[in-house]
Amino acid sequence: MERKRTIVRAEDLHYTYEDGTQALKGLDLTVQKGEKVAVMGANGSGKSTFFLHLNGILKPQKGRILIDETPIDYSRKGLLQVRKKVGIVFQNPEDQLFSASVRQEISFGILNLGVSEKEAEEKVDRVIEELGITPFAHKPTHFLSGGEKKRVSIADILVMEPELMILDEPAATLDPKHARMIDGIVDQLSGKGITVLLSTHDAERALIWADRVVLFDDGKVIGQGHPEDIFRSEELLRQTNLEKPAVLRIFDTLCEEGILDHKLRPPRRVEELMGYIREKGIKQL
Amino acid sequence: MMMIDKLAYSSPWRYKSTHLKSCFAIGTLLICVAVRSFLVSSVILALMGCLTVTYSQASLSRYGKMMLWPLGFLMLGTIAVFFDVAGEPMGLLHVAIGSKYIVMLTESLAYGARLILVSLASVSCLYFLILTTTMPDLMDGLKRLHLPWLVIELMTLIYRFIFVLLDSALAITTAQNCRLGNRNLRTSIRSMGGMLAALFIQAMGKSSALFDSMEARCYEGRIRVLTEHRPAAKKEVLLVAAYLTGLLALAVFCHMKGGL
Repeated sequence: MERKRTIVRAEDLHYTYEDGTQALKGLDLTVQKGEKVAVMGANGSGKSTFFLHLNGILKPQKGRILIDETPIDYSRKGLLQVRKKVGIVFQNPEDQLFSASVRQEISFGILNLGVSEKEAEEKVDRVIEELGITPFAHKPTHFLSGGEKKRVSIADILVMEPELMILDEPAATLDPKHARMIDGIVDQLSGKGITVLLSTHDAERALIWADRVVLFDDGKVIGQGHPEDIFRSEELLRQTNLEKPAVLRIFDTLCEEGILDHKLRPPRRVEELMGYIREKGIKQL
Repeated sequence: MMMIDKLAYSSPWRYKSTHLKSCFAIGTLLICVAVRSFLVSSVILALMGCLTVTYSQASLSRYGKMMLWPLGFLMLGTIAVFFDVAGEPMGLLHVAIGSKYIVMLTESLAYGARLILVSLASVSCLYFLILTTTMPDLMDGLKRLHLPWLVIELMTLIYRFIFVLLDSALAITTAQNCRLGNRNLRTSIRSMGGMLAALFIQAMGKSSALFDSMEARCYEGRIRVLTEHRPAAKKEVLLVAAYLTGLLALAVFCHMKGGL
């Protein structure tokens, strides 16, 4: 097995927008290769700004970022190297889709990497197949539904085969069915060994999916760790206005009432909690 | 315009070779404009009409309505051709204005009618092309013709953003209407102004967001994308070649007969 290595190391990032908004105020974060990280925090806490730093769209005014233990080189060539490794799926697909043709749209990134048309074509077709885009691949992007646009915007990046994929609130504004479909795609990415960094407001989902939850507040990381630990810290939840997932709330109450053992591993899914309860015997409840 | 776009995407001839369709339509158009013949134009108008109604999703009535759009302009434009100023009464009609007469001559009537017919036939060629060919395909075609890349890239972005901005404009207008923004002329004009201002700001924001996302995908000033290869079948090429030759022969014949 490959030894864990650090893919992102952000050190003391500061960034202030031209209008004076201080978006990042000394942010530190490391991400290991292959990790599934959920970034959470209120709107305006600096998540998107941080993401734009990770592939060099924004340059920190103070601090530095290392990708694969190498500081980002902001020359043309250096940025190309970084953007090959780090892909961002933007929150709003309308900000990302520039072409009316789905195939053209997906081929843009891969052709920029300088591969041959033939190779690009093969990769584009493979991604179209993989993400289930085939049924609407011949439609123009302006006739696609929100969920379909989202899938195309993920394909845009996936085709470039990045090592780290950043998804900015991928399931926001989607209906539950399409949101679950995107969840499935995200799992697919992790399965391929791609490191995934995604921002979300959905604590229940983060609890199930993430290896680690990172809480952003006011341009800084105010807490990080295993989701079950983070979501049981009343202090952190209050600071970030997050709600404790229902599974944990029920689990904690059952522990307090002495029905379940404190030493049990906190459940991530409803099924796990049900398992604990069944083991104990429903009658006791 | 949205309707034309939609029809093109659902045309049964959408996947035919763009080059062949363009050669067919543009070739016909050139012959039509070059000879300006009654007969040739009528043939073209009928042929293109039949083909478009059969091989695009436009129904006959819709196609008829689409033909009426340019007709309005043509009528207005040719009114001036119909009439002449003469020193004495002559022709089919004459109206005295002071010492001069405004007259309508048989020749100018024929000239005007021919102008309208040729124009409509030309329009029918273009309708055929745009109702069976999608915009990305047309742009691919232009790219192969070595149109400057800047023009193609601008077309790509503009075409995409028509829909993005139209969506925004519609959403803003609906929201305004919900708050009685179109109660009377005064509020309508104010709402329109507000909508355009908001749209402009949105457009600026969207363009910078798009630029960021393109940069994130290693954009370096040139948009490189895959082009669709849709080779034409030999039979189709021969058919179009035979048709164009036939049309050309008819055109030459009409020309030699003198203004048929």
